[in-house]
Amino acid sequence: MASTGTAEKPRPRPLSPHATIYRVTLTMAMSIAHRITGVGLYIGVALLAWFLLALAGDATTFATFSSFIRSLVGQLLLFGFTWALFHHMLGGVRHALWDAGVGLDHPLRERLAQGTLIGGFGLAIIAWIIGYVVR
Amino acid sequence: MQNSYRTPLGRVRWLGSARSGVEDSWRMRLTALALIPLSVAFVVMLLSLLHRDYNGARAYLGEPLHAVLMLLFVLTGVYHTELGMRSVIVDYLGHHTREWALIANTCAAVALGLACAYAVLRIGFI
Repeated sequence: MASTGTAEKPRPRPLSPHATIYRVTLTMAMSIAHRITGVGLYIGVALLAWFLLALAGDATTFATFSSFIRSLVGQLLLFGFTWALFHHMLGGVRHALWDAGVGLDHPLRERLAQGTLIGGFGLAIIAWIIGYVVR
Repeated sequence: MQNSYRTPLGRVRWLGSARSGVEDSWRMRLTALALIPLSVAFVVMLLSLLHRDYNGARAYLGEPLHAVLMLLFVLTGVYHTELGMRSVIVDYLGHHTREWALIANTCAAVALGLACAYAVLRIGFI
């Protein structure tokens, strides 16, 4: 490659177009959402670790956690955790189908993206209805 | 021509795919598959724990089936999370930020997994 031996500056390399120049599509947004929910679930695991450690401690440490999780912020975090879990899970199933070469064509890939979006919220809401109504 | 005695293979090794990348990709899919039933089990346990007090929650998680399912979910989940976060880091960060982020990611994942496992075992045995 660089066999000329002169000290001339290398020409800037051509860059491939990045995310910002493309029109936003549902499949693109769902790909981003898959990453965001994945990173968000890291926080969910930290919340789970707090819960388990608080429960492994005495009644006082558990009361601190309990009052936080029963607050509005805590309940929203917990709902977000279950939603992100279901959304990411369905997104993973979609990726598994794509790995198998299924669902890459136009009508089906849109349906799969819509299914992940609706399914994630649907499953989370159903789970919480069961959790609150059926004790 | 060449300023180094290192072979081309020696120079590119660990800089990208050198036949070691498939392992992570495979483990990502393996843990993802395992996490489908484990996550469902986790949410069921979560909803069951929602209305329990300190003693009730301890009794529930002290049951062998619940303890084993929670351990499986946490350890598989933490492994999957570490792999996922690692791919996010290498996609968006560069140079030293990337290295520190990778170190922090692995340390955080191991610490979270160990903390959860210790807590579940302590609840079960004490």
